[in-house]
Amino acid sequence: MSGVLTIARNELRHLARSRVALTGILLVALLSLTAALTSSAYQAEQAGLRERLQHTANEEFESQPDRHPHRVVHAGHFAVRPASGLAAMDPGVEAFTGNMIFLEGHRQNSANFGDARQSSLLVRFGQLAPALVLQVVAPLLLVFIGAGVIAGERERGTLRQALLAGASGPRLLVGKAMALGGAALIIAAPAAALLLWLSLSGPARGSAVLLSAGGYAVYLAFWVVLIVAVSALAGRSRSALIALVAIWSFGVLLVPRMAPEAAIAIDPLPTRVETDIAIQRDLRGLGDSHNPDDPYFAAFKRKTLAKYGVTKVEDLPLNYRGLLGMEGEKLTSSLFDRYADSAFGAMARQSTTMDALSALSPTIAIRRLSMTAAETDLAGYRRFMEQAEAYRYDLIQRLNLLQATAVTAADDAAKSSDAAAEARSRISAENWRKMPEFRPSRPTESAVLARAAPSFVVLATWLAAAALLAGFAAHRISRSAT
Amino acid sequence: MQAETPPVAIHDLVVRYGERRVLDGLSLSVGAGEVYALLGGNGAGKSTTLQALLGFVAPTSGEVRVCGHAPSDEPVEVRRSIAYIPENVALYEHLSARENVTYFLDLAGARRRPGEIEEAFRTVGLAAEAWERRVSGFSKGMRQKTAIALAMLRRASVLLLDEPTSGLDPGAAADFNALLTTLRAEGAAILIVTHDLVGAADIADRIGFLDHGRIVDEARAAGPERFDLRALHALFTRAKAA
Repeated sequence: MSGVLTIARNELRHLARSRVALTGILLVALLSLTAALTSSAYQAEQAGLRERLQHTANEEFESQPDRHPHRVVHAGHFAVRPASGLAAMDPGVEAFTGNMIFLEGHRQNSANFGDARQSSLLVRFGQLAPALVLQVVAPLLLVFIGAGVIAGERERGTLRQALLAGASGPRLLVGKAMALGGAALIIAAPAAALLLWLSLSGPARGSAVLLSAGGYAVYLAFWVVLIVAVSALAGRSRSALIALVAIWSFGVLLVPRMAPEAAIAIDPLPTRVETDIAIQRDLRGLGDSHNPDDPYFAAFKRKTLAKYGVTKVEDLPLNYRGLLGMEGEKLTSSLFDRYADSAFGAMARQSTTMDALSALSPTIAIRRLSMTAAETDLAGYRRFMEQAEAYRYDLIQRLNLLQATAVTAADDAAKSSDAAAEARSRISAENWRKMPEFRPSRPTESAVLARAAPSFVVLATWLAAAALLAGFAAHRISRSAT
Repeated sequence: MQAETPPVAIHDLVVRYGERRVLDGLSLSVGAGEVYALLGGNGAGKSTTLQALLGFVAPTSGEVRVCGHAPSDEPVEVRRSIAYIPENVALYEHLSARENVTYFLDLAGARRRPGEIEEAFRTVGLAAEAWERRVSGFSKGMRQKTAIALAMLRRASVLLLDEPTSGLDPGAAADFNALLTTLRAEGAAILIVTHDLVGAADIADRIGFLDHGRIVDEARAAGPERFDLRALHALFTRAKAA
């Protein structure tokens, strides 16, 4: 072990005395620090803003005057997605998916106000977050400072001297990897500090922090071991650098960029316009509650009258319009749910394709793991959308029920021609204040860990493969230092 | 009877690179406190002999022993007892002479007493002002002195030198030979691989002429003149012509 530490110390001294390497490490560490500071400030502001927006939306909803419940259905409400604990580490898909949704009767809206849509053009190129630095920039810097870590010694002849002095191939590789790992630690330190702070200050769960930190540790360890192995196998530093830059370009840039295209090609999603047209077509097919000859609603009417043992709607103990509203909402909601399920199903299949492609690029695996730990992945977005829809459906049905129970059928029918009836059809504003607020729940810790587990296994497999390559390289070095 | 075995012992060594027999039945030995110079032209097999002794080339047949160990089977044990000084001494450019020596000693796990490094530097004649300087500005002679100091500190029982005086001015070459004399007196077995006949005659106790992978002639130092340079030259020419 002492030999390994001696080698590691010497390599660190080499890095510290090399102006190029030192400048590179400090610059990327500075970039990582900047990313951690700006991202955490931005996300803290976002968290406050979203909290205020939800609060304002709740206040406005509750401060509506006495009015007809159906007017409240159309006045609508807002559901705002609370900021996740680790969004500062990895904003994931949040910048593009939208964080606020307008809830109203008869329709499901999509989320709006994504950061990319309301911010400057720069945000569209990806917010500067620690995740981006660690996933993309850090490996490239490690490649540049590490390509010659053994190949350079071979070129200068010191490799042979080190072996003759008693260093074995495995010790050399482990020592060099430890030194390069030290450089990776310096680069990752600001991100690690951010994770620790997010954990201690409250917004992030300890398990998510450990998951994220562990994932990045394995990812960077993979790069460190790969770099040392390639450097040991290459005859010259330049050859090692070319090979490693090619691997970086393929694994970090090309595959993660091509993977979504491949996933979309395999499981295409209809455009928004196509979906809207299809929904409108299907809505027409559901029936028209205002048409007395509509077969579906005629049957519903017969069933309702039979249920209450009356022969005409005027004799019902409830306002039939309210009941119609409830039935209509049930129908349209199931239709919207079907389309949403279909879209999310396609997205989930796209994600599966992406996961499969992580066999070609560990960057895909760390991206997936990082977003999962941060709850800023597609599953987190879907969870928000489903909870918002469940809340919308419940809210609208409560309002429809109020129409059925608190507004008489006679007043409802006469409200447009009779001012007194119109006044009576307005119910107390107290009813809006009794409505539940939107309080989305977070996934359980075990659910997050289970979702991240496959990505972690993929990363560990990449690391094991790199270690095997390093083992082969170490054996070769021990036999021949030329 | 391992104690009687010379530190360097090669017997009937054959090394093939593909179809080519680079070493073809080479036999030689270097005893403790002896300097053996192996002379030969380009392609005679000098470098391969060193590679085999260092454990970087496995014998096709025959036997190689360094301090009783086979380099290809026990490279770590063999390398522990060997100091190898190539034609161009490779040192870490970012380190000073002292840091280089310390690093290699630490790698070897060699213990040293306080002040021993300075003592070794003084013995090899490395100026004190150079001790803390980065070796990137060192001349070839200074690098060799640093390497010899390291070999002394490691107490290596076998020294392998590859063209050690090539490129040195006559004064530096004489200094270098003086150092080798010191090491020889301390009991080191020294094998020098060179094509410098005169340089070899200055320091060697025996000179072996290598051609096509085998020793074709051998001369032993005798009397105050040590070697008859004319006879040596004739042997060398004959060996190259063989």
